[in-house]
Amino acid sequence: MSAADIHHATFVIERQLRIAPIRAFRFWADRDLKERWTACHPDWRVLEATFDFRAGGSEAKRWRTPDGREQTFTAHYLDIAEPDRIVYAFEMSFGGERVSASLATVALRPAEGQTRMTYTEQIAYFGSREALDARIAGTGEGFERLVEVVAAA
Amino acid sequence: MSLAASSPVAARALDRAFAALADPGRRTMIERLSLGPANVKSLAGLAGMRLPSALKHLHVLEEGGIVVSQKAGRTRTYTMAPGAFDAIGAWVRQREALMNAAFDRLEALIDAVEGTAEGSTP
Repeated sequence: MSAADIHHATFVIERQLRIAPIRAFRFWADRDLKERWTACHPDWRVLEATFDFRAGGSEAKRWRTPDGREQTFTAHYLDIAEPDRIVYAFEMSFGGERVSASLATVALRPAEGQTRMTYTEQIAYFGSREALDARIAGTGEGFERLVEVVAAA
Repeated sequence: MSLAASSPVAARALDRAFAALADPGRRTMIERLSLGPANVKSLAGLAGMRLPSALKHLHVLEEGGIVVSQKAGRTRTYTMAPGAFDAIGAWVRQREALMNAAFDRLEALIDAVEGTAEGSTP
């Protein structure tokens, strides 16, 4: 894989959570709570799951998909400032091949007793065609959204 | 355009799309062209380039199947090639959609764990 095959993109998701940051923070920091909203593939068999939520700690997940391939998510927490900020780097791989590496920043800002949560993901994508096929179903609908993403990068 | 990224032709198209996106000046041009056709002079101005340099970048975009051009008289007008970025764009959109779905579950979980908001009605 050459350097020319690396693609960078950034996307930002903002949510208004109706609890204060100190309480919202728990949903990222507590293993059981986080598992309850991040688990999304009941048909994937969990092979490994570790969770060490502290700056310098890591979180690792490994699954076997129904077609018998391995999917991984490995995160390293770089910076944690309770309750305002969580910064982590993570990789994702599929079938033994790394697909992407990202920097994720979660900002939890107080907003009148609630929380303005901003999730920013900066992605370096270098997946193969096979990985792309495995993750994408359906057809593209033009480039408008990509232009937004690229413009934000 | 369907996302036939499994074919060699689509694979090459994807490689070209990656390369085309690797330059900030070209991204500026793409951003402008996504709004509608534009000529070389206006694209050069937006990207802060001299005409020869702008033409070179536009050539890369055209070779890569990202844009198409048409000459009318002395003016060459560039337009986005439809579907040029489907593969990469779809991957990023899917990644974003997955996170949005996760945050939907987060909000539902907050409701379940924390009860309903004080003093608010649904």
